[in-house]
Amino acid sequence: MIEEFLSSWHLFRDAYVSGCLIAMLLGVIGVLIVARDQIFLGAAVSQASMLGLTIGLELGWSGAGWYEFDAVTSLLGSLFAVVGALVTASLRVPGGESREALTGWIFCVGLSGSVLLVAHSPHGLEEVHRLVSSTIVGATLVDVELLAVLAAGTVVALLLSWRTLVLVTMDPEAARAMGVRVEWWDRALYVWLGIAISLSLRVSGLVYTFGFLVLPALVAKSTMREMRSMLILAPAVAALVAITSFVVAHGYDLPPAHVAVAGLCASVALAWTVRSIRG
Amino acid sequence: MATTVRAGAFLMSEVSMSEESAESGPLIRAERVVLAYPGVRVVRDLDLEIDEGQFWCLLGANGTGKTSLLRAILGLLPIASGRLEIALHLTPDTVGFVPQHCQWSRTLATTVREFVGLGTVGLQLRAAERTARLGRALATVALQGLERHDLWSLSGGQRQRAMIARALVREPTLLLLDEPTASLDPAAEEAVLDLVARVNRDDGVTVVLVTHDMGVAERYASHVALFHDGAVENGRRAEILRRDNLERIYGASSHGWLHGLGECPA
Repeated sequence: MIEEFLSSWHLFRDAYVSGCLIAMLLGVIGVLIVARDQIFLGAAVSQASMLGLTIGLELGWSGAGWYEFDAVTSLLGSLFAVVGALVTASLRVPGGESREALTGWIFCVGLSGSVLLVAHSPHGLEEVHRLVSSTIVGATLVDVELLAVLAAGTVVALLLSWRTLVLVTMDPEAARAMGVRVEWWDRALYVWLGIAISLSLRVSGLVYTFGFLVLPALVAKSTMREMRSMLILAPAVAALVAITSFVVAHGYDLPPAHVAVAGLCASVALAWTVRSIRG
Repeated sequence: MATTVRAGAFLMSEVSMSEESAESGPLIRAERVVLAYPGVRVVRDLDLEIDEGQFWCLLGANGTGKTSLLRAILGLLPIASGRLEIALHLTPDTVGFVPQHCQWSRTLATTVREFVGLGTVGLQLRAAERTARLGRALATVALQGLERHDLWSLSGGQRQRAMIARALVREPTLLLLDEPTASLDPAAEEAVLDLVARVNRDDGVTVVLVTHDMGVAERYASHVALFHDGAVENGRRAEILRRDNLERIYGASSHGWLHGLGECPA
């Protein structure tokens, strides 16, 4: 099976590398999102990004179709994702509605809007379905380069300031007292999240994006005793599951994104079992 | 007009102040300070001087502005009017803050070592210095040996001491504590307050502690500020915690307050 996988490397290299980079990138960011109890923020931001991508398609800017890299469409996807994340993070809903209510609202706007926009387009719904169902086969070298830059930036940011990120996430009042500009750090995180999700969504689809944002972080949360360890374990688990899933998917001719997410779900169940046994 | 005279990275200065005068003067000086939130004025015309080495207790009922004063000192609440002077050497690097509750989610694991280490955020420290400070802070609060324990496996009193260690790891000149013993049993409360008193006495750290308990003020404070109806009576403990003074301030409701004192009126 591994030999077969290696023989396919030259054909699917960009897809495999993109898949691994997305897994590690979202694995790290996911720890901070899960720590904030904002799991559905990832789904809402993904839907907001999809609305941006759909608008790009509908306006005809991505003339050659979804499978080619198109700067304008990608930019719209990123813009909508970043705005969606920032709105969820900072907007106060009148009447004191919770942040979850706003997250749900953004999810619904993105989902219904993207379908309605392409409802009368030839193959429009088909394209939306392709994004939702996830495939990483169409990744290009440009995607790999962009994801590598994002992943490298994430690693540098963590090495320089993981303590600040953790404190801002877990105890914002204490962070403010230490002179940290909590609101600026929050905004930076949400902008980073929006960019990462939009790029991941365009390359790998909704299932893979949401799965790798949330599930590796849940594995790390269930097994590690420190936030710092979680920030290391989550991307490691994500990369391992991604690579293994690509091998299995290739060997059994299965969709790699779904194999990967199923593998992560099994990992989470295993982690929860181990934690319950450990007490 | 609201004027906050401050120095260092986190402080905005409208009036310059020499370093010499700051070091020889009080750490904090408030002149006719008003603290307010939209539509609500919680403190009016506060005059106060806090000098180095003093132990202040801020006393009063809920909503009288005690925590608001801490937030103003920390630069988290702009003063509505008056003048608040903060010594030049007081910056976020030299101020430790212990909030009333730990905001850290119980569902997320963290060790005592990691939690206390987060107190070094914003400080430019080498790894060795960071480790040394961590060791000193944990020793001060008597949590050595528990570094690798889960924060949530500790007792309430131990966890509160971990929060104090997180403030002490900054090796502060000024330690601000917002009801640090609110949820503790009497034994744990005494251990925490004895610890704060020792830090004040042995290390010369200035302490400002918010409490509802007049007995705590009577036992530990060198100075007291009584918050009531927007006004603040403050000064040396012996001057402020006099029975006639408390009866004048609190009138018919003074009995409840006096109950916390050792010399409870008949």
